[in-house]
Amino acid sequence: MTCQHCQDEATVHLTETVDGQRRELHLCVACAREAGVALPESTPSLALDAVIQSLIVSNVGELVGELASLTCPDCGLKFMEFRARGRLGCPHDYRVFARGLLPLISRTHGATRHVGKVARRRPAESERLRLRTQLRDAIAREDYELAARLRDQLRPKDADA
Amino acid sequence: MNLDDLTRNSGEWLRGTGPESDIVMCSRIRLARNLADFPFSNRASRGEKAEIETNFKSCLTSAGLDLTYFDVNSMSPLDRQFLVERQLVSRELANGEGARGVAIGPQENISVMVNEEDHLRIQVMLSGLSLHEVWDRINRLDDQLEEYLAYAYSAQLGYLTACPTNVGTGIRVGVMLHLPALVQTKQIDKVFRALQKINLAVRGLYGEGTQAFGDFYQISNQQTLGKSELELIRILTDVVPQVIQYERTARQVLMNERRQHLHDQVSRAYGVLKTAHTISSEETMLLLSSVRMGINLGLIDDLEIATVNELFIQTQPAYLQKIQGTELGVEERNVARASYLRSRLSNGRHVEPE
Repeated sequence: MTCQHCQDEATVHLTETVDGQRRELHLCVACAREAGVALPESTPSLALDAVIQSLIVSNVGELVGELASLTCPDCGLKFMEFRARGRLGCPHDYRVFARGLLPLISRTHGATRHVGKVARRRPAESERLRLRTQLRDAIAREDYELAARLRDQLRPKDADA
Repeated sequence: MNLDDLTRNSGEWLRGTGPESDIVMCSRIRLARNLADFPFSNRASRGEKAEIETNFKSCLTSAGLDLTYFDVNSMSPLDRQFLVERQLVSRELANGEGARGVAIGPQENISVMVNEEDHLRIQVMLSGLSLHEVWDRINRLDDQLEEYLAYAYSAQLGYLTACPTNVGTGIRVGVMLHLPALVQTKQIDKVFRALQKINLAVRGLYGEGTQAFGDFYQISNQQTLGKSELELIRILTDVVPQVIQYERTARQVLMNERRQHLHDQVSRAYGVLKTAHTISSEETMLLLSSVRMGINLGLIDDLEIATVNELFIQTQPAYLQKIQGTELGVEERNVARASYLRSRLSNGRHVEPE
């Protein structure tokens, strides 16, 4: 459709009803401005980065601060990595990241306390999980003496079997 | 038991027995469990994954459980796909890496996946609407495993899982429903919206992210923390009968108002399945769904519901290739599928597959 004032493409379409009379107006942007039609501003700057940042802060607390730099000493996972991938690295993460996780758990489940089946054995923090991390570090550092000792400690005891 | 034994049988959950089995294909519960002494699977080293697998296998022996362990890591892609089709392992396990596997019970209603997202994913399935029986069985199995394995557990948060969406009970209670009349009468979206409002998830036959297939839908809980296993089961046993009732009403409407049309649709579907010489998987699912409803409405009287249930699984690519003993391309599979369907649906006359 062409503009009713010039031959440009009409992009502004108005329908007015005056005294029961319907009137249609098809204009290009320039003629519409001239005719005094108020046009919406061109795409406003969305400042997306800021929006996302404020969403994150309001949803998971001040990620920028303490939480963001939190790392589990036992599996080496950073809280930020969990946020990106959605998977935790080891059972101890629930304690290490409690501040960041509990609000999230509460939103997902509407609760923060377990009800239901209780594990028969209730191991406190697993010492063996910690030893495994030390073993991995020792191997990475090529400290084979320590690695051997840790491996001995990790060998399944008969009492455990 | 080996994989070839599996191809000769079919899962108990396809038998088409149990309460409401005209609409409820099966009830299933899975529990997510992790060993306290190891990082979660995604963070475990190769060696640690192998140790987790070894611990689990020795637990099976010590507990004297009648489960056969299959090493998925050393399996061919076709065999992995075969286990996915049979609902015994997830796609995630099939496509994973490193030491991993699945322990399967004799009637295929128990499977325990090892080194999936969680160290253990225990699953029990039974045909029909029988969640309480499923719970009794899986709870007992979980107890037996726990005799030998120390689970990651906290007093506040319950069973600890790799993803916080499963923490607490680690339970997913699911019921698989066949809802062709709700689909045909375009009521299904309304039902889904209602279910989502009460925080239940609706998925296709193959779980998360899969399209509903053959008009089968799985309804399951999403919340796992703050309610006990029995409370979560009760939500399903309260809601599912209502969905069943909607489906029955929709079927009745189709029978009363469009009987001839429906009968025609069902008979044509049956006719095509019995006589086609090449057929895609999608078309097969669509037609089997009509035939399944037709049997339940008394419009087909010479076919067992169990046969149709089995065909949903046995017309899929990996099964067809397993029974042919060779890999097949899409076109060849379509021919093999049609031939297999003809042989299974020939009214008792045995027809040799070509």
